[in-house]
Amino acid sequence: MTTVQTAAPQRQRGSRPGALRLISAEIMKIRTTNTWWLFLLGMIVVTALAFTVNAVGHHYTLHPPLDQINQNSDAARQARAQAAAANTPAGLAKIAADLMTSGQFFGLLLAMILGILVVTNEFFHQTATTTFMTNPHRTSVILAKAVAALLFGVLFWLVATVLDLIATPVFLNSEHVSVSISQWTVVQSVLLNLVAFAMWAILGLGLGTLLRSQIGSVVTGTVLYLIGSAAVALIFQLIHNIYPHDWVLTAEVIAPAIASAVMITPGGQAFDHAPAQWVGAVVLIAWTVLAGGVGTWLTRRRDIS
Amino acid sequence: MSDGQIVVSGLTKHYKLVKAVDNLSFTVQPGRVTGFLGPNGAGKTTTLRMLLNLVRPAAGTATIGGRRYADLPDPIRHVGAVLEASSAHKGRTGRNHLRVICRSAGIPLTRADEVLELVGITAAGRRKFKGYSLGMRQRLGIAAALIGDPGVLILDEPANGLDPEGIRWMRDLLKMLASQGRTILVSSHLLSEMELLADDIVIIAAGQLVQQGTVRQVVDSMAHGGRVRVRTPQAEELTTALKGTAEVQATGDGALLITGVEAPAVGAAALRAGVELHELVGERPDLEAVFLELTKGKAGIR
Repeated sequence: MTTVQTAAPQRQRGSRPGALRLISAEIMKIRTTNTWWLFLLGMIVVTALAFTVNAVGHHYTLHPPLDQINQNSDAARQARAQAAAANTPAGLAKIAADLMTSGQFFGLLLAMILGILVVTNEFFHQTATTTFMTNPHRTSVILAKAVAALLFGVLFWLVATVLDLIATPVFLNSEHVSVSISQWTVVQSVLLNLVAFAMWAILGLGLGTLLRSQIGSVVTGTVLYLIGSAAVALIFQLIHNIYPHDWVLTAEVIAPAIASAVMITPGGQAFDHAPAQWVGAVVLIAWTVLAGGVGTWLTRRRDIS
Repeated sequence: MSDGQIVVSGLTKHYKLVKAVDNLSFTVQPGRVTGFLGPNGAGKTTTLRMLLNLVRPAAGTATIGGRRYADLPDPIRHVGAVLEASSAHKGRTGRNHLRVICRSAGIPLTRADEVLELVGITAAGRRKFKGYSLGMRQRLGIAAALIGDPGVLILDEPANGLDPEGIRWMRDLLKMLASQGRTILVSSHLLSEMELLADDIVIIAAGQLVQQGTVRQVVDSMAHGGRVRVRTPQAEELTTALKGTAEVQATGDGALLITGVEAPAVGAAALRAGVELHELVGERPDLEAVFLELTKGKAGIR
């Protein structure tokens, strides 16, 4: 026989204010599925692989295998020049910064996909109804999701950075070069990397709210991320051929993936005629705000069925 | 819980060229189970979704205890709803599904275990949702709706997928919840089940209200005084005695079907005419017959 207890559950004493409650619920949603540890595992694998590739590359830059090539060839001269440039304080700082941000390329992709899943899961698994019944203020729900996605983006960055922080000094020591990884150039790159992880997670969320389809958003986002920048670069190169002004090349920064590269590459050297780093950051923020804003506006208006 | 009256007023919703809900108005009273009936595509689900702020009406209002759903503070403490059977993440356990709801509503997480026990799926609570049978999914949905101990419960086709025992369990549960003064609004197309469960019914078709009232009132509205089945060896005498007041039809199996008068009148007429009766039964149409009659021609694919 069923009995119903009718004593209304009282609100938790000292309960959190609404916003924290919602954010905490969104984090709980991620934590209670396999998603989070699969993504963390992916993050570790991606970082390890990227670090290995970067380390091998930098090893050969610092110590070119000159005995294997003709000492008087152009290639040998170039390799010697590169090694010399890399062995300067600025060159070593750049190498250290590069190693300390290993895992960034695919890590940002993972952060974006997580952002997509945070919102498209609700439609894929038809939990949007429950979510929006529990809290009918849809903007608050989307904002809570954005914070949750951002926090997981930061977590991914933390995983990559901790791994890099362990491996980078080991590698630099084994190369017998002396460079401080606590110098500003390196720290700046690591911090900009953090901003990139946070932004791509929210960008993914915006894309998810816009498209709602899980597969559609993941495919669109991945294609935009992986191929988008090359395609945009090519298009602007073609425009530049017809209309040869340098600002045409600079304008490539409007593509999110290119903006992200500009933001995290020190000294405006992401590509020829690249704008300053802050321009990349502004463009990326603009895309994040646009995607999230349009997505939220649509979510507020759309029927949930 | 006395403020649990649901008032739907002039509610309208268009989808492309179809009027899914067309100027619909009705009220649902607390302390009673109200069946919300209509053919497929009548607009039942759309109406319930407008009531819950999930679908934006083109016109009209729907209020619960005088307030729109979106204006209720902590709405799941006032209103619980079960909308579709499969509304949980496949890879999340049932218990965690409920705990997430508790968390976002600021209700202690232990409430999840209480409602799991209430619907009898404590053991399944730690399994992932993808392994749930349809009946378990319905029970989980009901558990979710009860988390906030709401005074109003809205259920869309809750009997779908339940076995006979499950249906009986749900009927007892809903009746008990109603007896505690809660408002229970249940949509269904299982008419025989509704006849057992509901106190009041609201029938809609093609997005419009067809009939509202207690089950008895609605059935009587179509009964036209009912129908009386009679067996007698003196059929002709009885037919003559009733001439002018009732219509008499002979059935194939030797009985007479009399419409237009009640059974006592037939008995009285027979007594006066000295006709011997072997059987005298007043027949009432059931809800199904009334429903089909009321929604005739409106059930088409729209």
